[in-house]
Amino acid sequence: MSDAPSRVHVSWPGQARRRNTPLRRGDRALRPYLYLLPAVACFVIWVYQPLFEAFMLSFRQWNMLPVSPKHWVGLDNYCNILELPKFWQALSNTWYYLLGLIPLAVGLPLVIALFTQDLPPRLRNLYRGLIFVPMIIPPVVAAAVWRWLLDPGHGIINLGLQKLGSSPVDFPYDPDITLWTITFITGWKLVGFATLILSAADAAIDTSQIEAARLDGASKWEIIRDIRLPLLSPTLMLLILMVVLLGAQWSFAYIHVLTEGGPLGSTTNIYYLLWQFGFGSLSVGWSSASAVTLFVGVGVGVGFGLLAAALFALKSKVTFHDD
Amino acid sequence: MKTILIASTIALSATMAGAQTIPQEVTEPVTITFYNYNLSSAGGGADATRKMIAEFEALNPLIKVEGVPVPAQDITAHVQADIVAGQPVDVAQITFPNLGYLAENFGAKALEDMIAPAELEAHFEGMVPNGLELGRIAGKAYGLAYTFSTPVLFYNADIFREAGLDPEQPPRTWSELRTAAEAVAEKTDHLPLATGIYGPTALDWLMLGSLNSAGGSVMNDDRTELTFADPQGVMAIETMRDLAQNELMGNMSIMAQMEGMASGNTAMYLQSSAVQGYLVVGAKDNFEPRTAAMPAFDGYPVKPSNSGAALMTFSTDPAKQRASWELMKYLTSKRGYTVITSEIGYLPLRPEIVNDPEYLADWAAANPLLQPNLEQLSDMTPYRPLPGPNYLQIVISMMDAMEMATFGDDDDVAGQLSSAQERLQRMMP
Amino acid sequence: MTTDAALRAPLHRWRRRARLLPKGWDNAVGQVLMMIVSLICVFPVYWMIVTSLRPENEIFSSALWSDAVSLDNYAYALGTMPMVRMLVNTFTVSLVVTPVQLLTGILAGYAFARWRFRGAGFLFGAIALTWLVPLQVVMIPNYLLVARMGMIDSLGALILPHVASAFAIMLLAQAMRSFPSEVIEAARMDGATHAHILWQLIVPNLRGTLAPLAILIFITTWNEYFWPLLLTRSPENSVVQIGLQMFITAEGTQWGPLMAASTMASLPILLIYLVLQRQVIASFMKSGLR
Repeated sequence: MSDAPSRVHVSWPGQARRRNTPLRRGDRALRPYLYLLPAVACFVIWVYQPLFEAFMLSFRQWNMLPVSPKHWVGLDNYCNILELPKFWQALSNTWYYLLGLIPLAVGLPLVIALFTQDLPPRLRNLYRGLIFVPMIIPPVVAAAVWRWLLDPGHGIINLGLQKLGSSPVDFPYDPDITLWTITFITGWKLVGFATLILSAADAAIDTSQIEAARLDGASKWEIIRDIRLPLLSPTLMLLILMVVLLGAQWSFAYIHVLTEGGPLGSTTNIYYLLWQFGFGSLSVGWSSASAVTLFVGVGVGVGFGLLAAALFALKSKVTFHDD
Repeated sequence: MKTILIASTIALSATMAGAQTIPQEVTEPVTITFYNYNLSSAGGGADATRKMIAEFEALNPLIKVEGVPVPAQDITAHVQADIVAGQPVDVAQITFPNLGYLAENFGAKALEDMIAPAELEAHFEGMVPNGLELGRIAGKAYGLAYTFSTPVLFYNADIFREAGLDPEQPPRTWSELRTAAEAVAEKTDHLPLATGIYGPTALDWLMLGSLNSAGGSVMNDDRTELTFADPQGVMAIETMRDLAQNELMGNMSIMAQMEGMASGNTAMYLQSSAVQGYLVVGAKDNFEPRTAAMPAFDGYPVKPSNSGAALMTFSTDPAKQRASWELMKYLTSKRGYTVITSEIGYLPLRPEIVNDPEYLADWAAANPLLQPNLEQLSDMTPYRPLPGPNYLQIVISMMDAMEMATFGDDDDVAGQLSSAQERLQRMMP
Repeated sequence: MTTDAALRAPLHRWRRRARLLPKGWDNAVGQVLMMIVSLICVFPVYWMIVTSLRPENEIFSSALWSDAVSLDNYAYALGTMPMVRMLVNTFTVSLVVTPVQLLTGILAGYAFARWRFRGAGFLFGAIALTWLVPLQVVMIPNYLLVARMGMIDSLGALILPHVASAFAIMLLAQAMRSFPSEVIEAARMDGATHAHILWQLIVPNLRGTLAPLAILIFITTWNEYFWPLLLTRSPENSVVQIGLQMFITAEGTQWGPLMAASTMASLPILLIYLVLQRQVIASFMKSGLR
């Protein structure tokens, strides 16, 4: 790996074209790793090495001060976390968040992307542009604006509901509703993002296939079901994977500004809870154990099944390979 | 691991240097950093702080102060990160719940270990003893109370009138408060009461004042045993539960509480006097805001707690320690508290300046909302931080249990508090 | 990837199916639904802008439009915060991070799409799992690393941890996999090197993926908060999200100036979106390959 820079340099376009000699076998085997090197190095330095440190420290009590001793406490840090009365509540809330986010952040954008694709270009761009707008708003501001709109007393949405004869709905503070309010806002922010990704993938579909099918008398729905959806499935898989792995983090800003995890813990999720307990004081034991719990717990419990499915899906879609 | 090893050698040498006594005055140009959360707000607090720093620099031409804006909830993490990186900040504005943790674990410098007793004595002269007590951990002053406020009951005089209540006679006890709240609920559409007692970011400062006022306490005097589930604590929570279960008190995040009050939708709001400026702006042309003292429990003296922050120094270099101390002295001088009180809205910890025409007299006459707050100063029971490395987790868990006991479905307040106390006691050092 | 045979399979079903709804009906319903969704997406943003123009004592008003339009909030935000400087800083960071992340993403994506190699599955999984590591977990060790490099309070430190992103790699690997293999084989026959294939053949044809990806990377970097908060010291070296946060304090939030500052912080992104969106459309139109 020591010759990495020169190797990458050699394979740059202008120069590479002049090289006609075939590469030796060893170089070939190394090549994929060289292409991966910059990205992998970044992740090792900034993510995995610190995560490994956190793992080692999660069995200790220490205040991070170099001069003070690191007490070995075994699994105490983990026990403290698992004993939190809110832990299991937060875990099940996390599931509800994911359950609510998938239709909002994957289902709805899919429908929008498919529908707008067939519209005249002007209208299509207008809709996609409007739907993208929430994406540009800073999350904190989005949370604040939504709380105004949803306020049970003077929020404009409740004023509207009252005009329609309904009694005011306590969107931000009713323990039974608040979680869905936050899911909605998180999804609202993501619709544009997912639509953009899906539209790009949808537009990349070979139009000649669709034309051929249309000439054969296929309806719009049939083209979607039999051509577009199968071709979009890897991108859909990527989005679902992303929502599952990142969903809890995305709702963080909204939980923080709107409810702080309350009322009565009804909106806290595993990420927010561990953040509250682990990082408020930078207590190494708590924060490291929180980190590992999050990574291993959520990673194994939620992520792996999907990851395996996604990898499988991606593998079966592989289309070109030389050697 | 390597990062930590290298940091440790730096910090080790730095700690050893800190054992020396500090020079009498600053003789060479020196620059110190100052983490301040008022600077991190875009409001009057930042301007006033910049002004004080500029005045200080003009008086001490050899000292340059680099004021760094850091949001209040992030200062502790910043201070820790810097110490671990071997570049400790010189002066930081630390909120009281974190003071014990930093003093006991992060090598904050006790003033007694740096400054000659006579000089300390001279500076402490005239400061509220309760306020000085706040910075003391195990008998030594690690912090100097700086921006500081007590809880007051804000109320909306217009809603009071609408509910047939007399705004000149605000409730003084929790039972009077309940009566007033019922009147508001009956005759108006407004929320009768919000309090800053609950909500994760509030931590326990206002709860501590409420428990103390009910004759109870969060923990015993030597900070070893939690006592919040004692009968007095249960009584205090049951009073709150009664208000909550009758829908007289709302359970909201702090932002929602403040906006509800500022927009004229809440009748009464128990919260730190520090938010007064914000509420007054919201009330302008909308409603008449008033303040009253924190309500008492029947038969017990009211013992308000305090929110706010102290100044702590973490300098390890003697010259910087001297410069830091000079800055701390200036910020807590008569002039310093004059600016803090009149331009940011905190309390003057040197009460004599309130009637001194050279300092606050004119301003105090023009700003009557401050009065209830000043009167509470002598009754105040200083905030005491929970001990040990798990202090924050204990506070959050305790507040969670109390929120559940107040707003939840289970009527067994005593049982919920006891089981929480038993569980949390295991995390005490 | 779909061959003719696969395409022909469902044809018999297509011919038999009769139309259930009158022509254009689904389109009309769709249009109405799209309008509702668009309204929900845009209204809160409209609210942000309207609020930023309200005078101070009308901030909590729920009127749809205020007659008294005031620029005070903008003047205040610009006066108390070096907003312009912060915007320039944020812009610089985002402008560097975006192409760098695209570059590492293209290289890594190509490796995953083009070659079978030992550990490919493991590496792909490890990259996807970085999503599970929240910033707070790695913040302190990374802070120490930056401190050792002497880069605290510098824009460089805001860029370095964002050299690569899992999302860019996975999306690009995905896009490259669906690139027609016949074209690549043809190029191989002509003796093109990997670099040639990647940069002259694949990348120009991936513009439809690269442009939206660039938009998303830019916005993510633009909205970053925690890492800059720990690293920057002076407002002059700070980014715009830190500036926004300064209007939200324990002593109350200054909604008017916050909304004004947010509007100012959002406008550049809207412009970037419009420019790049045009690029996306253009690339769809003239892509000869598809």
